[in-house]
Amino acid sequence: MTKKAAFIKILSAISFSVIVMILAVGVGSVFISPSAILSILSHKLFGKELSPDIIPTMASILWDIRLPRACCAFIVGAMLSLSGAVVQSLLQNPLASSYTLGVSSGASLGAAIIIVCGITIPALHFFLLPVTGFVFGLATVLLVLFFSARLDGNLRSHTIILFGMILSLFVNAILTMLSAAYSQHMQRLILWQMGSFAGRRWEHAAILLGVCIVGTIAIMLFHKELDLMSFGEEEAQAVGVDCRRARRILLILSSILTGAAVCFTGVIGFIDLAAPHAVRRIFGASHRYVLPMSALLGGAFLALADLISRTILAPQEIPVGAVTALLGAPFFLWVYFGAGRKK
Amino acid sequence: MKAVEVKGLHAAYDKRDLGGAGEILKGIDFSLEEGKRLAILGSNGSGKTTLVKALCAMIPTSGEIKLLGNPVAGMKRREIASRVSYMTQVSQVFFSYTVFETVLMGRYLHGRAGLSSYTEKDREIARECMRKTGVENLTGRLLSQLSGGELQRVFLARTFAQDTPVLILDEPTNHLDLKVVAGMAEYLKEWCSEPHHTLIGVYHDIPLALSLADELLMMRDGKAVAFGERDELLSGGLLEEVYDFEVREHLRALVKGLS
Repeated sequence: MTKKAAFIKILSAISFSVIVMILAVGVGSVFISPSAILSILSHKLFGKELSPDIIPTMASILWDIRLPRACCAFIVGAMLSLSGAVVQSLLQNPLASSYTLGVSSGASLGAAIIIVCGITIPALHFFLLPVTGFVFGLATVLLVLFFSARLDGNLRSHTIILFGMILSLFVNAILTMLSAAYSQHMQRLILWQMGSFAGRRWEHAAILLGVCIVGTIAIMLFHKELDLMSFGEEEAQAVGVDCRRARRILLILSSILTGAAVCFTGVIGFIDLAAPHAVRRIFGASHRYVLPMSALLGGAFLALADLISRTILAPQEIPVGAVTALLGAPFFLWVYFGAGRKK
Repeated sequence: MKAVEVKGLHAAYDKRDLGGAGEILKGIDFSLEEGKRLAILGSNGSGKTTLVKALCAMIPTSGEIKLLGNPVAGMKRREIASRVSYMTQVSQVFFSYTVFETVLMGRYLHGRAGLSSYTEKDREIARECMRKTGVENLTGRLLSQLSGGELQRVFLARTFAQDTPVLILDEPTNHLDLKVVAGMAEYLKEWCSEPHHTLIGVYHDIPLALSLADELLMMRDGKAVAFGERDELLSGGLLEEVYDFEVREHLRALVKGLS
């Protein structure tokens, strides 16, 4: 890919994301035009005068409801697809993602325990559920890595995938037993697992953004190692990559990203799988492009999916996870076959 | 200085097999001077590939391995890879990098770590290595679009780009046309003629192995049957013994068919 071609592609991806974000905050029961959005943003951010034709409730809808929600969706999409890209390359398996490592099952179990037991810790307030989910999700991954390392000191991909699947199934079984035993909580459990961005506030967005930025930069530091490791362990070692170290760090980083995303929103599938694939099709396999572009397009894609989830059957909302799969599957096919034929 | 020194080397693909029945290498000793060209010969399953993997510390071993005078045990991965470049038997390609991107990755250790990309000097060296293996016209092609032979040459270019004093090749001429093999053999000889360059190769192609090597290591059942000067080892019936086959008679008969 020449520099010019890369530049044009990156520019188009950025414009696409901006358009999606404008739609995501503008469309709904109250339509807010792009110029009104601009006016409200400059009022909130730089203290400029609101234009006279904007009523205060409109500003409030945009700033307090839609914008934090769209930002959360964007950031979560970025985190999920970034960690998907990393895990796929590390395990050399185009079907793998952080979910393969048991993050989501662990997080769901943690959340279920909190819901079923009705535990409340005043200090954590509404962060109790996310924090517990995060801790359980990460603990599951660490357990997978621990067992894999015990069996296979080199931490080969198939060992990790196998243990990830075994532990996920085991944790899911516990989850099923819990929800059967406490059926009065079943609906809340299922809703949590399906994922939603309803009622997300700036506090959520700020935490997610922090984790996302730190995680993205840390992962980007390994872009050359990821290139080499996607050829396989021996190839990477032969050129001088310390695979064991890089693999541990990267798996934990991507689990933190997924864990943070899942614990605030529930389990949202497909983004982690589809976005990196589409990006590889468009930008090539080099992780210098794959990592940042997966984050960007994954974010835009989830923001779009969330917009659809809250508007298509309005005033009712459908779970965003269902939208990502409904939208993602055909998109995925189009990218895969459409772009493949042109080459 | 010795390029490689091996004493009492045992190796297995699982740590727990060391010292047990699962061992692949069962006690190997040899040492190779800098600047030599070694060919490792032996039939399928004799442990040739395992030996070169053990030399690069990619599998569990016991015994002693020294590279350029220093023990491999305790070396960091980058210290090993700055001494030895190792071209594996061509692997499956999961993600489609371009040829140039792939060759450039050989410069991993020479570049700076972190967010930075490869330098213009690295790019120039990568282009040079691509010319040497005859893949310069494939620069922008995707790995998934290449034939087996082209892929092999791309990986060879990457190995050259690593620029180490010791070069280990595992079946470098698999899938290659005779013409390409001849060209590559020329280039390998040229590479070896530079001082301190040591070549270790595993070859199935016996005539090629004999034309490239000045020392031979013959293996059978995970043990070194013989090690020494090529001409000395070839004078007896060792070659036939190692392969359990009338190698020379067979090769002569093949060539006779051409004339």
